[in-house]
Amino acid sequence: MAALLNIEDLTKYFFGLAALDRVSFEIREGEIVGLIGPNGAGKTTLFSIIAGSQPPTSGKITFEGRDFTGVKSFRAVHAGIARTHQIPKPFLSMTVSENVEVGLRFGRSRTTRNLGKEALEILELVGIPSLAGMAAVALSVGDLKRLELARTLAARPRLLLCDEVCAGLTESEMQSILGLLRRIQSLGTTIVYVEHNLRAIVSTCHHVIVLNFGKKLAEGPPEKMQNDPAVIEAYIGKKARV
Amino acid sequence: MSAETQRPGFALQAVRALPPLVLLGFLAALPLFNLGANSVKVLFLTFVSIAASVGWNILGGFAGQVSFGFAVFYGLGAYTTAVGINEGLSPYLTYPLAAAVAAVASLLVGLPTFRLRGPYFAIATIGVSEATRVIMSNLEFTGGASGYRITEHVPFRQTEHYYTGLALATVAVLISIAVRRSRFGLGLRAIRDDQDAAADTGVNPYAYKLAAHALAAALTGAAGGVYARYAAFIDPEGVFGFQRSVGILLMPVIGGVNTIWGPVIGGGVYGVIEEELVARFPQIHLLLYGALVMLIILFEPGGVLGLLQRARRLVLRRRVASWQPS
Repeated sequence: MAALLNIEDLTKYFFGLAALDRVSFEIREGEIVGLIGPNGAGKTTLFSIIAGSQPPTSGKITFEGRDFTGVKSFRAVHAGIARTHQIPKPFLSMTVSENVEVGLRFGRSRTTRNLGKEALEILELVGIPSLAGMAAVALSVGDLKRLELARTLAARPRLLLCDEVCAGLTESEMQSILGLLRRIQSLGTTIVYVEHNLRAIVSTCHHVIVLNFGKKLAEGPPEKMQNDPAVIEAYIGKKARV
Repeated sequence: MSAETQRPGFALQAVRALPPLVLLGFLAALPLFNLGANSVKVLFLTFVSIAASVGWNILGGFAGQVSFGFAVFYGLGAYTTAVGINEGLSPYLTYPLAAAVAAVASLLVGLPTFRLRGPYFAIATIGVSEATRVIMSNLEFTGGASGYRITEHVPFRQTEHYYTGLALATVAVLISIAVRRSRFGLGLRAIRDDQDAAADTGVNPYAYKLAAHALAAALTGAAGGVYARYAAFIDPEGVFGFQRSVGILLMPVIGGVNTIWGPVIGGGVYGVIEEELVARFPQIHLLLYGALVMLIILFEPGGVLGLLQRARRLVLRRRVASWQPS
């Protein structure tokens, strides 16, 4: 499979502090890739740079063979890179359906017809079709996460960046979201998925990239990463010598 | 349940369109009843106010970008029409010209200021507005601070002005409705709600804000132009003054910001409020404007329209409460 996204030596400094330090990897088309690491490892920074919310200090991003470094977020969306936010950012003056319509009309497909029908299809996919006419203000946290995902999917991304979609959800809600991600992947969308929960990663991802202190620590299949001493050390700490 | 079926049906739309159409017909027929010159003048000024108010609302309401600098566009429109007429152009040709000049100016103002957000944008617009006033007060070819007189070699016909004002206000409302229903309007709403989320969903916030600013400025510029021809004399303090900027902002806030009819209601009642406040308290009327804005934001951010809706809900609830099964 060809590389959909290529990251080369990506570096981001915040006032002299390296949030990302020469990170390189590639994402192959059709995979679900887990991006893990302890708090402050640079996961969300990496995400927002790929999605165009902020420019990198140096390094290169290639998407579908084209240079994508420093491209603005709305252009990234038009090209097919769309992200969800860790804390959902719904359009609060709109209904659930209208939120999704923004994605449909302004995303990659620029849908103009059957907006209501297409919005409903996406809401069915994420499991909240009954909320279509409800005001976004009235939604629970779990439903807001689904709405966030629905709106992002409405932009018809080729590469979906999911930032901790499971944080703060109950076990059963989490399982249903993970099932949803597998479903989205099987429909042809490549997914990069930031997660704290190792179990969620192992059960869902094909490939895992581990970040720590802004550097890539390791990457490989999830089972292997789970047992990698360097990864365990980053998460839990060094094994004590007795 | 698609959005198409959620939208009100044709019959309901026709019923909703009825009150504004009746009002329009009434206003169009009004000059036939030989009103006094003063009443016609008040109505004309109200139409001009409505056009500027509806224009401001496209940027300040729909897109949520509060500007204190709309006197710039009002004034530039006024001066464009004034100079145009004196140069021998037909007045009706000068109004689109006034709109165009204001729109171009809005790009010059917007390009740097839209890098700022929220209150910082609002503060920057105050600076731009004051700077423009000072420049115009020192510009010799328009007579500087002593003002500029329009000389027309046709008799003054108040009814013509009245209809020009009415037509402008109507066009403004129609544009506002079209924007509200369009993809453009949806993008503005998204920006108002959350600019970052809008960009992450494919909306170009910078371009959209510039476009909304230009459209709002064009309407305000045309309003300035229509006013200038009526007034026949304009000066920087009058059309570029900070009080003008505040007035244009205050109207939609009074009526109900981010709605179609709020700015119209606000433009309608503002003339009366202004007259009362300025006439009774000439020294402290700006202070009273400030107090009014604070009261509205504290107690009824929806303005007059919000108040009406609250009253309607109250009446409905009472009706439900007094309903007895027979």
